[in-house]
Amino acid sequence: MHTLTSAPTPPRIVAQPAQPGVPLSDHSDAKANQLLAALPPAEWLRWVPQLEAVELPLGRVLHESGVAMTHVYFPTTAIVSLLYVMEDGASAEIAVVGREGLVGVSLFMGGESTPSRAVVQSAGQGVRLRAAALKQEFNNSSPVLHLLLRYTQALITQMAQTAVCNRHHTLDQQLCRWLLLSLDRLQGHELVMTQELIANMLGVRREGVTEAALKLQKAGLIRYARGHITALDRPGLEARSCECYAVVKKEYARLLPRRLAV
Amino acid sequence: MLAITRPPGPRQNDLLASLSAADYNRLADALEPVPMRLGARLYEPGSQLCHAYFPGTAVVALHYVTESGASAQTTGVGCEGVVGIPLFMGGGTTSSSAVVHTAGNGWRVERHRLLQEFDRGDTLQSVLLRYTQALMTQIIQTAACYRHHSVEQQVSSWLMATLDRLREGELAMTQELLGSLLGVRRESLTQAAFRLQEQGYIRYRRGHISVTNADGLRACACECYGVVKTELQRLARGDHSA
Repeated sequence: MHTLTSAPTPPRIVAQPAQPGVPLSDHSDAKANQLLAALPPAEWLRWVPQLEAVELPLGRVLHESGVAMTHVYFPTTAIVSLLYVMEDGASAEIAVVGREGLVGVSLFMGGESTPSRAVVQSAGQGVRLRAAALKQEFNNSSPVLHLLLRYTQALITQMAQTAVCNRHHTLDQQLCRWLLLSLDRLQGHELVMTQELIANMLGVRREGVTEAALKLQKAGLIRYARGHITALDRPGLEARSCECYAVVKKEYARLLPRRLAV
Repeated sequence: MLAITRPPGPRQNDLLASLSAADYNRLADALEPVPMRLGARLYEPGSQLCHAYFPGTAVVALHYVTESGASAQTTGVGCEGVVGIPLFMGGGTTSSSAVVHTAGNGWRVERHRLLQEFDRGDTLQSVLLRYTQALMTQIIQTAACYRHHSVEQQVSSWLMATLDRLREGELAMTQELLGSLLGVRRESLTQAAFRLQEQGYIRYRRGHISVTNADGLRACACECYGVVKTELQRLARGDHSA
């Protein structure tokens, strides 16, 4: 219920400006993004020459609240948080996007910008496409339109579930949900993440995250050392998480092509 | 303003009203008037959606019930929108339910007809997608609001957003229903309602809430009310300037 108090401090993620992308050196890297991997062959051939590889370091802002986006981003190994930042600087994560998805749905949904911010929460690589090229593909290719809309519907489910979760679930449960959603988007069982950043993402006080992480560590579910979180017992984390993790995972599996589901 | 008074008919709904004449005329014979009664459930979690609903005077909550029975609204839908976006987005079902919280009228379209028109890629498609983008803004705002704002701010924002959706009549809400929509405990809601009443912004009697001073109430609402309203208006205009 209302045991979680808001973080009174401004966000501590230092925004890094976007950097130019470079032409793809290896096309198979781009297919690590599962939306790109699901493109029909004709679409894939049209897209490849237009895709650019981008490095996505921790803290890089891919789009700012209310600013028109220039590119849509397809993470391959990075994870991006969609955050809402309040007038007083307090923030709350609304959804995470990794290799199953894309950042920039408002480009094809309409509106070009959104009142939320997208920031890299786990460093890695991605691929990007210019806004105009994406819009053209969306408007002219029915498979692209349907693929992107299904992904957006899955994203909406995640956002709605976050709203409900923020209302009703304990910080312990939320931390488990957050760890599981992030781990699903990484290869391996380890996240590089400070407690401060997690607190910032979840929109809670750091002390609350420290306490919750300690409990999970004592229960033998995670190991937390010097900013590295290792999942030791996934089934245990799933059992501790609220239902929100399973609801979101199931909806992604249902809406996205089988090999797309994370 | 959201609530522009329009003559009775499907074009009371903003989305239907913003279709081109040709697109509206093609859809017109498929629009079936439906009474939307208080408490009616337009769809249940996991069930296959058969119709999209365009509210006229009714207001609907998209509502999620957790395993433990606790519930919370993720967004409201009135004359500015449509209930049933998974029909055209894909999937055809949702994990939430849609419940009428303010009785009124509306129109519905059978799913195949809607998809047929949507796939033409004309104004219906862009209108529905822009609305879905606005709906996402609302859900995002709800998630952030539930995290950071006081019950008093949330009640004020909710009442203001609902007032905007009403074209006629007064907002009348029971405390019980509002508590279940916002997902807050009875005691917290009672305290918030009393404080708003003391300031003369609402009238609160025997569990019934009505708004007496909208300007005052607006000042009590958190930023979320304004952010959502601005974004909804921007997207409804088809204006792409941020």
